[in-house]
Amino acid sequence: MFKLNLTIALRNLWKNKVSSFINVIGLAIGLAACLMLLIYVFYEWNFDKQSKNADSIYTALTNVRDNSGKIMVTFEGTTTAFAPALKEEIPEVKYISRLNYGSDRNLIANGQNSFKKLAKFADPDFLKMYDYQFIYGDPGTAMSDPNSIILTEGTAQTLFGSKDVLNKTIRFRDQFDLKITGVIKDPPANSSNQFDYLIPWSFYQTIDADAKDINWTNYSINALVSLNPGANVDVVNTKIAALLKKHDNQKYPAQFLYPLSKMHLYGKFEEGKSVGGAIEKIWLFMGLAIGILLIACINFMNMATAKSEKRAKEVGIKKTIGATRSSLILQFLTESLVLTIFSVLMAIALVELCLPAFNNLLGTDMHLPYLQGYILLWIVGIVLFTGFVAGSYPAFYLSSFNPVETLRRKTGKAKFLNIGFRQILIVGQFCFTIMLIIATLVIYKQIQYVKNRPLGIDANALVEMPQDGALKTRFNELRERLLKSGAVTSMYYSYSGLAHHDNNFSGMRWPGMKEENTVLFNKVFTTVDFIKTTGLKLTDGRDFSEKYASDSAAVLISKSAVKTMGLTDPVGKVLQVFSDKVTVIGVFEDYVWDSPYKANNPMIVNLNKKYPNVITMRLNAQRGLQENVETIERITKQLNPAYPVEVSFISSVYGDMFKQEKILGVLSNIFGALAVFISCLGLFGLVAYSAEQRTKEFGVRKVLGASVYSLMQLLSLSFIKMIAFAILIAVPLAYYGMGIWLQKFEFHTSISWWIITVAALGTLLIAFLTVSYQAYKTATSNPVDALKYE
Amino acid sequence: MIKLQNIEKYYAAKGLKSYILRHVSTTINQGEFVSIMGPSGAGKSTLLNILGMLEEPTYGTYEFMGEDVTSLNERKRIELYRNHIGFVFQAYHLIDEMTVAENIEAPLLYKKIGSAERRSRVADMLDRFNIVGKKDLFPNQLSGGQQQLVGIARALAAQPSIILADEPTGNLQSAQALQIMDLFKKLNEEENITVIQVTHSEVNAGYGSRILHLLDGVIKEDVNLSESLKP
Repeated sequence: MFKLNLTIALRNLWKNKVSSFINVIGLAIGLAACLMLLIYVFYEWNFDKQSKNADSIYTALTNVRDNSGKIMVTFEGTTTAFAPALKEEIPEVKYISRLNYGSDRNLIANGQNSFKKLAKFADPDFLKMYDYQFIYGDPGTAMSDPNSIILTEGTAQTLFGSKDVLNKTIRFRDQFDLKITGVIKDPPANSSNQFDYLIPWSFYQTIDADAKDINWTNYSINALVSLNPGANVDVVNTKIAALLKKHDNQKYPAQFLYPLSKMHLYGKFEEGKSVGGAIEKIWLFMGLAIGILLIACINFMNMATAKSEKRAKEVGIKKTIGATRSSLILQFLTESLVLTIFSVLMAIALVELCLPAFNNLLGTDMHLPYLQGYILLWIVGIVLFTGFVAGSYPAFYLSSFNPVETLRRKTGKAKFLNIGFRQILIVGQFCFTIMLIIATLVIYKQIQYVKNRPLGIDANALVEMPQDGALKTRFNELRERLLKSGAVTSMYYSYSGLAHHDNNFSGMRWPGMKEENTVLFNKVFTTVDFIKTTGLKLTDGRDFSEKYASDSAAVLISKSAVKTMGLTDPVGKVLQVFSDKVTVIGVFEDYVWDSPYKANNPMIVNLNKKYPNVITMRLNAQRGLQENVETIERITKQLNPAYPVEVSFISSVYGDMFKQEKILGVLSNIFGALAVFISCLGLFGLVAYSAEQRTKEFGVRKVLGASVYSLMQLLSLSFIKMIAFAILIAVPLAYYGMGIWLQKFEFHTSISWWIITVAALGTLLIAFLTVSYQAYKTATSNPVDALKYE
Repeated sequence: MIKLQNIEKYYAAKGLKSYILRHVSTTINQGEFVSIMGPSGAGKSTLLNILGMLEEPTYGTYEFMGEDVTSLNERKRIELYRNHIGFVFQAYHLIDEMTVAENIEAPLLYKKIGSAERRSRVADMLDRFNIVGKKDLFPNQLSGGQQQLVGIARALAAQPSIILADEPTGNLQSAQALQIMDLFKKLNEEENITVIQVTHSEVNAGYGSRILHLLDGVIKEDVNLSESLKP
């Protein structure tokens, strides 16, 4: 029985090549989108869940409150005293490791072979929390000696060209010699603790003043905690609150433990509560993929029910020779399953083809793991699901036919209700399509809008580079030589780059201040020629200068800072930053530094030479860019030979800020195009079928004198009407939805009428072209051919 | 075998009942060969459909093999189709996607007959109707007469006790028609299969044992040929 069903299904597919092709292509694209989603969801879902004990690992978060006790910010990080106190006093803590903040790229070298690579400093417990696979070395002792280093496989390969490098020596930051005590497999890409090499915390304490100084005030490290099996994190958190009260006399406990495995998906906090995170991206992607799959399923249903007249006869015959309804349902489902299996094979090929580009876009490292049971299980699941969704309506609909009615009339007319359902499906398809087109256009317009917002600095010919190694102490020499070379017209160094997003504080006092300050200010430490180099617009006062010795206690403040403080004549006023008294010497127009989508915090700029981190340079516009950069590279390399030179243009640094929105734009572009394609494919199939069915009617009409135009109208108009109806539904929905999306941004564009017009007319045009091609073909065919058949 | 009592069928349109069948009562026994005749619109096909349980009468009772089947649910009806009734249609109604052999095999599949038994029955049918050479062809590759042979072979494959044929030779040339009618007669006489056919042709009706003349939904005449021909 099944075998016969299968052969008949295959014969049917082969016989109706056009509709099979439409179905298979459509479903394959839909399934490919779904598979892609599946891989992506697995990737994101398994973030930080690779280790055996992932469930019991927590990271320390800190709530920042204003004076009323309201939580303003929650961030991942804690003080240096936190981890030792926890280890000492809370029995549930099994392992605990201090970690340095995020991405610290440091120089490591094997002789002349030197690279800047991602460092992680951690306590030995770190190895027990993650089960890293040691290729060489012993995890028990690898981190016990301070002067040791563990390399990842990839790092060992780049530095030594081999993995077997145990006990060799590596030079760190061009100052320290560390012994390699282990080589581990590269950590997975979907882990929040990324590194190229691992160095014991005990070593970090000897080179970093912040790490060495154990206190409750400097929130500059991370802490990873593993609790005993069965320990309740809420109980532990109350114990932590008591501990904080005891040691730090905190009115509200600032720190708490949060599951590391949830950090990635639910790591966005508002008022101390998790309000989402990467999970939003998953939802979005899921919606898109399922939408595309549904559109493809609708094609299938439409094609299948459109053919119902043809199949009805078969149903009737089979019923009279003893087929039950369920056996017919099974037959139709078999057909849709066969089709889905063809499609899924094609989909897998498509995924393989697109995955590299997709990885590139999302910055991930995903692949199709064929050999893992779960993915096969999921593929089978998707095939069954799709086959069932696509096949169920036709199956139940067709199998319900009454044999007499189907056998008696040769070509019956489809029932009204049947047409109604098909119309609803088409309208639904095009609704989704039009909404995607509008979304694409709105996202594009928003990105353009924010991109075109003046930055406030002269980003042209402005470059920055990290101030590594010898550059920290030889800045003046570098400056002299660069200025003399003519490549650079002015330069300064600072704690943070122009486009930064940290260093916010609230300990700000000013004359005439009424109550305690709750506004977060941003603090920038810089050196002379700050304004001159960046091209910021000075509205009042002057730039820092070497001529004034008093400038060490001077600040420049942004216009929004003036507004926040309510100063009328700011220059010369004395402000207080924590305990330091500083004098305002100038006011500058605000510029974009953190997120280009919102107004940033008021900023104060301090002259402070103690934080050499980033060098910013204004290139000489009279000379070629390339020439300038080459000169900078040459001179820097001479002064600081140990480090590679990394010059980056400020404009590209700003360009990177649009990455998330660009991804969103590309995604909605791709999915929008796919939706248009699949929907039109379905439309094409339906019109072709409807034309085929009405061949005789058209023949008669032509014989009676109907014009080509009137025949085309007859065939196209109903379809065009449906699209128009879809536009009517989709436009308000998209308008509302995208309106909400735009509200997320403080600076946002509006949804202008041209977007709606372009989307509506574009869809109508494409649909019209699709339909009219077929309609024209039918309308111009010879009536005799049509009438010959009977 | 079949007992119809006061069967009526009408359609109500705008308050007016338009009758297709009125007061049809008759009994058909196992082994009879009945022809239903009458002009167009007399209700012949409707009567056959009711006999085949493809349509329900508006009124009256229908007993099939001693069981009241006037309004039967689909499952039970299909059970009867599988085991007792074979249909033969004027337009053959073969399944286009299936080969000749598969068409004949289909009812056996629904009857859940084992594959060895199926193969032997299909082979038997092909042999009997001299269409072994055509077994792998599709219906549209056959002539009308050949298609009808396949249709009959399909109806017989499930070894029914009754064959319902709606103008089985209506689309055939006369030579082919005679061949089909010979076949029916043979089945009726040799295997004691009850045959009920709707026909326009006196010649075809002559093959049977009994003729029901229908006019405007009423049985006008019930002629028993075996008796009338054998005085």
